[in-house]
Amino acid sequence: MKTLVWLHGDSLSERDPAAMKYPEAVRVFVFDRPFLEKAGLSFKRLFFLYECAVEAAHEIRLGETADELREAMRERGVERLAVTESASPRWRECLAALQKEVEVEVVPAVDLVDVPGEYEAKRFTPFWKKFGKEWGA
Amino acid sequence: MSAPVQMKLEGFSGSREQIVRNVAEALAGLYAESPDQAKPSPYMGGRKAALAALEKFSVQGYANTRNKLQGNVSRLSFFIRHGVLGLREVAESVRERFGRSYDAVKFWQELGWRQFWRRVYARLGNRIYEDLEPAKVNLGGHFPEELPEDIQKGKTGLVCMDESVRELVETGYLHNHARMWFASFVIHFRKLGWKTGERFFYRHLLDGDPASNALSWQWVASTFSHRPYIFNRENIQENGGKKWCERCQAKCPFDSTYPELERRLFSL
Repeated sequence: MKTLVWLHGDSLSERDPAAMKYPEAVRVFVFDRPFLEKAGLSFKRLFFLYECAVEAAHEIRLGETADELREAMRERGVERLAVTESASPRWRECLAALQKEVEVEVVPAVDLVDVPGEYEAKRFTPFWKKFGKEWGA
Repeated sequence: MSAPVQMKLEGFSGSREQIVRNVAEALAGLYAESPDQAKPSPYMGGRKAALAALEKFSVQGYANTRNKLQGNVSRLSFFIRHGVLGLREVAESVRERFGRSYDAVKFWQELGWRQFWRRVYARLGNRIYEDLEPAKVNLGGHFPEELPEDIQKGKTGLVCMDESVRELVETGYLHNHARMWFASFVIHFRKLGWKTGERFFYRHLLDGDPASNALSWQWVASTFSHRPYIFNRENIQENGGKKWCERCQAKCPFDSTYPELERRLFSL
């Protein structure tokens, strides 16, 4: 099944884990209009993202992320999307919208340390003592 | 549902200046400045720039100099924040080149903070924008929506703060210690709350990450830490040098001992 890789602002690299898993897939980044309209970021930030996206993605679009990705899939006759996991609530919202209509594979992000899913991080020092052994904690 | 906007932005070519103009036009209305004021950061995005910066970074001296404005910091944060470089990739690069030195261990710990913030964000989502704990000191109570003009425009007369704002707005980067001083100034010396400053940083920092930014502001405020973070003039001079103070004509609000500052800032 043909796959399209969704690159987002937390994983904007050709070495993105979803892109590494599907090296032949087209990579798309979307400037998310609803988010940008609210965020009021400086142009420097958007241009920095643009420079990262130009190297990482085959296509850069502007609009509502889920709509744009569906359109990018339709244009190419692609049926499945792969994306690297993010903690962002807006990312989760887009993911939930997409999952209603298309198959989406969420690829785990590559972390510095392994932390069990149920661990509740509250203060850094105990977190690092417990999980940072590989890195000298 | 409205039809998606058909706009593809990857085809621009020419000089960086030309591409800036094209992108500014394509994204008009979606950033804070007017298109004719849109300027890029001197820091370039992209993986090529990221790998060059990673290769250039030597961790030697990091632990003992990282708190100094002129210290040996990596300036990789904006690449890490956007996943252009992975946390593990950066940590492994340092391990391969420098081994498990005292400096490397300190640097890895700082990378650990990034994962910690992400972890908290995954658990709390948009609750990171509310006080996570009661403040441990009096933070004041009348918080504006935006930072006052004198702070945003770098016209407080306090050279250390004004120069930090200038650097932030022009480059999208600020040394971590300068971020802490500025945050403490906004929250504790001016009693403006942490949210206005958080938004100001998020608007400008190339490495602006919701969790790292909001939770660091809360850490300074003491709504995500055991005590507030404050600083004095001696701290600025020790870590930033004396050049700011030598130019400064203002009556310095930071020129006190810590017990005096605590009494002045928190006794109300």
